[in-house]
Amino acid sequence: MFACIHLPDAPQLAESFSPFVEMVDEHTAVFSITPRQLEQIQKIPGAAIAETVEAAIIAARNPGRTLAELPIDVLPPDPEIFEIFDLWGIRTLADLANLPPNGLAERLGPRGVELQQLARGALHRPLKPAPLKILQEQQIELDYAITNLEPLLFLINRFLVDLCPRIEAAAALHFTFNKEPRTLRLPFPTRDVKFLLKLVQHDLESHPLSEPPQKIKLIVEPTAPRRVQHGLFTPSAPEPEKLELTLAKIRALVGEKNVKIPELRNSYRPGWSLPDSPLAFRYFRPPVPARVETENGVPRKLFGGKIVSLAGPWRSSGEWWRPDQWNRDEWDLKLADGALFRIFRTASHWFLEGCYD
Amino acid sequence: MTTPFPLGWRVESQPETLGLAQCPRGRITEIIGQPSSGRTSLLHSILADATGQGEFAVIVDSTDSFDPCSAAAAGADLQKIQWIRCAKNVEHAMRAADLVLHSGGFGVVALDLADAPERGLQRIPATTWFRWRRAIEPTPTILAVITRRPLARSCSALVVEMTRRRADFDGNLLRAAEFEITPRKPLGKERTALRVRLHPSA
Repeated sequence: MFACIHLPDAPQLAESFSPFVEMVDEHTAVFSITPRQLEQIQKIPGAAIAETVEAAIIAARNPGRTLAELPIDVLPPDPEIFEIFDLWGIRTLADLANLPPNGLAERLGPRGVELQQLARGALHRPLKPAPLKILQEQQIELDYAITNLEPLLFLINRFLVDLCPRIEAAAALHFTFNKEPRTLRLPFPTRDVKFLLKLVQHDLESHPLSEPPQKIKLIVEPTAPRRVQHGLFTPSAPEPEKLELTLAKIRALVGEKNVKIPELRNSYRPGWSLPDSPLAFRYFRPPVPARVETENGVPRKLFGGKIVSLAGPWRSSGEWWRPDQWNRDEWDLKLADGALFRIFRTASHWFLEGCYD
Repeated sequence: MTTPFPLGWRVESQPETLGLAQCPRGRITEIIGQPSSGRTSLLHSILADATGQGEFAVIVDSTDSFDPCSAAAAGADLQKIQWIRCAKNVEHAMRAADLVLHSGGFGVVALDLADAPERGLQRIPATTWFRWRRAIEPTPTILAVITRRPLARSCSALVVEMTRRRADFDGNLLRAAEFEITPRKPLGKERTALRVRLHPSA
């Protein structure tokens, strides 16, 4: 048996009866009930009880009337079929419910049968409750501030050992050290205490706290566990836990922004767009100021070395409205020793951008 | 566990000689040569092969010189590549590569030391290469190192030397370049030059 509440404070009312609540819209909540709860629910104005989820929703949205009395428009809109109902003179749910099901199926197909079952309050579907959002937390206030990392990790380990068995998997760890909030988003759902503690350790090592903590609070944000289907013939891939720990160590070594997955951007900015050639290019980051000797505006020597072949200029400019706009002439060149470089000229300076390799 | 296929590289000419230029699994491969000798093009083609087979790869970029655009144009799937930029610090590059190799699970670990300062290269302890050889031996990982000169010495299973041949200029575009791959190790009758020509439409 299901109950539906259609009121502005429906979510709160529904949660007082059951933890598993499906929110149909902002003001409509449906949930399953036990016979003992019947009496309490009947006292709520705007609540309806029915054998099926859909019937409860329709009844709650149209209080004071039975299903049979309701107009056909309360059903989910389907202009094509409703036009046929209109031609047939079907005005109420009772009219639709009384039609012979076989004839309806022959003429309107499965959608027609589904609408008739809705009109009869006999369309069975499972409840789709929203996932539980329970925040698990632990906190401690000490008599003294913790100055070393090791005792701090010892405390955090105690929190994790206590909290992790209560959840299926964690999506994030929200810490508050004194008044300093810190969130550690996990790359994948897990509740492996050792792994989580290692991640916390790397995070605290790479981003030390501003002051020794005396009050520590940890909230674990739960989520659904990950389910992975391994294939027999798929190539081996790094284990997520190991990879994340490795990347955390590397981030601490070379910096957060220097560990990433390369991506292409939708722009004509030099270095961002996809070139035609698979010939590899190596960038000099940042570009090296170059000494170029020109003849009638055409480069002839680069750092005193003779240019034997030259392609260009390849004029490029864009995004004039931004402070980092670009406007330059590019040249591909070959030196006497065979090295291939790309140089470019801005308004007044020459730069060596990189080499083809 | 599946037996991974050896990775090769795409060549326009003499495809029958491709077998001698394959990177052995669980071994160190060194690609040596001067600037503009095609070292990076060869590395990109290895990455394209690896990611094309669904494997994951890492580029430990000691000098921030990796160009994702030309790697993508060579056919590499960037979503399967982890790029570690080491801001011209060879020590960081070696440490990052060490962590990645011991983490395991990658098809290709590319260590780019092509433009690394000579002083930094001289400071690399010889024991590093022995440790890495031992670390990847039981795995299907290929450690591909690009440098100006051989560094791993006896620890590498394959050393190929790249040399420049020619570059084709056409109007205001550099159209193609031609390089030569010469296997330096292992020696023997397989020591044959292989010509690679890269076309804009390849």
